[in-house]
Amino acid sequence: MASCTSLPKHPLPLVRPTMSKNPASQIISFLSKSSNSQFYGLSLPNLATSSSPRPLSPRTPIHAKVSKGDVPPPFTLKDQNGRNVSLTRFKGKPAVVYFYPADETPGCTKEACAFRDSYEKFKKAGAEVVGISGDDPASHKAFATKYGLPFTLLSDEGNKVRKEWGVPSDLFGVLPGRQTYVIDRKGAVQLVYNNQFQPEKHVEETLKLLQSL
Amino acid sequence: MYALTPHCHLSKVLRLSRTCRATATSPARTSTADRRRHLPITTTTPATANDYSSLRSTWAHRAWVATGFASVLTTLAKSVSAAVDSGSAFEPLLAAFLGYILADLGTGVYHWAIDNYGSPSTPIFGPQIEAFQGHHRWPWTITRREFANNLHALSRAVTFAVMPIEFFAAADDAAVHAFVGACAGCVMMSQQFHAWAHGTKSRLPPVVVALQDAGVLVSRAEHAAHHREPYNSNYCIVSGVWNGLLDEWKAFEAMEMVVFFRFGVRPRSWSDPELEWKEETGGVSSE
Repeated sequence: MASCTSLPKHPLPLVRPTMSKNPASQIISFLSKSSNSQFYGLSLPNLATSSSPRPLSPRTPIHAKVSKGDVPPPFTLKDQNGRNVSLTRFKGKPAVVYFYPADETPGCTKEACAFRDSYEKFKKAGAEVVGISGDDPASHKAFATKYGLPFTLLSDEGNKVRKEWGVPSDLFGVLPGRQTYVIDRKGAVQLVYNNQFQPEKHVEETLKLLQSL
Repeated sequence: MYALTPHCHLSKVLRLSRTCRATATSPARTSTADRRRHLPITTTTPATANDYSSLRSTWAHRAWVATGFASVLTTLAKSVSAAVDSGSAFEPLLAAFLGYILADLGTGVYHWAIDNYGSPSTPIFGPQIEAFQGHHRWPWTITRREFANNLHALSRAVTFAVMPIEFFAAADDAAVHAFVGACAGCVMMSQQFHAWAHGTKSRLPPVVVALQDAGVLVSRAEHAAHHREPYNSNYCIVSGVWNGLLDEWKAFEAMEMVVFFRFGVRPRSWSDPELEWKEETGGVSSE
């Protein structure tokens, strides 16, 4: 049985304040460590970034946080077969990009299997599914093989993309957050869903939105 | 040879012991060849179901249970005395109830930690981990443990925990004494409650069955869920009142994730059980 027993190579640091220019909101964001995380789908107030000004369209984020309407920063990461995969590859069709804590952990296994079991529905909606965690390609390969995952898993070693997209952490910064983005054909985010301990809900919520796109 | 109850795993125990508690139709008589044939494959594990002597109480066990009970009863007596002096029973009773509730949570967390982390060679906790490992392998043997044997480890812990607390507690604080006495008493008795949760309805005292059915003590059905795949739930063994909440809140999963990401250690419950923790089937099953 393949299992990921190694310490994550780049454990997440404690959450740093979001890069807001307003000192008051910096203090607030430092205090509210999981500023936008959702436990069990309950939304916690977004204290950190709401006070900061945003530029008008095209809506590219000026903070380290991707929200609804934004075009997320591009990335190129290695997949489970060691091949480079860029976000631009999915342009022209909807994409479900889900960030998860780690391979071979109970919640992540449930989530991956839920996406696998509903994969046909995602294909029917014309969408691609991509999972991203800090594990290396070998870990992803073992994980995907063990559970028969038909979609791409990307290695965000160092959690660089996670930080760039502003995926919040849970439990006072110890747990990498579980957050899913649905990106439309034009490359803009239409849904940001966060739920650490009910991983199957990510599939429900994303399918619901895809069916309305 | 003698006829045995079909699911009675004690056949192996009986062949080594003169004390027979199973439903055998004639006294145990074995030959050396018989004994060798029926011993389990691994004979190196200490304190196994096949070494009945490890389930008996020793005088050291009895001494620790005595000190544990002495600590708890002294504390409760102080509470009663202080309550009588103050003329109010409400606060101490409420405190005792909270102690009983907290003991359930405490036993659950401790049980979770012992079941998931460390090994028999871990300092201090090694023997406990080994005992829990044996329990998972042969769950029914807890019903064969003599009283002091079963409770002595917790009694020792309670003795050492209660003494300093009581030393510093104000003599006339009935609520504090009640809380400490009830919590410590329930923790100490949790192994007995646990043993009863592995019993069969027909063999348990009716009052115990009634308390289990009422939810005052952890029920047989609820605890049986702990001994089923994926072995990651129902850790509380006093009343079990916290089991539903902790499982619903995924509290243990959250703690396991925190430990994994902080220290890189995976809990045992994330993988299929290792041989040493895997239940040996063919034993007496509880309801």
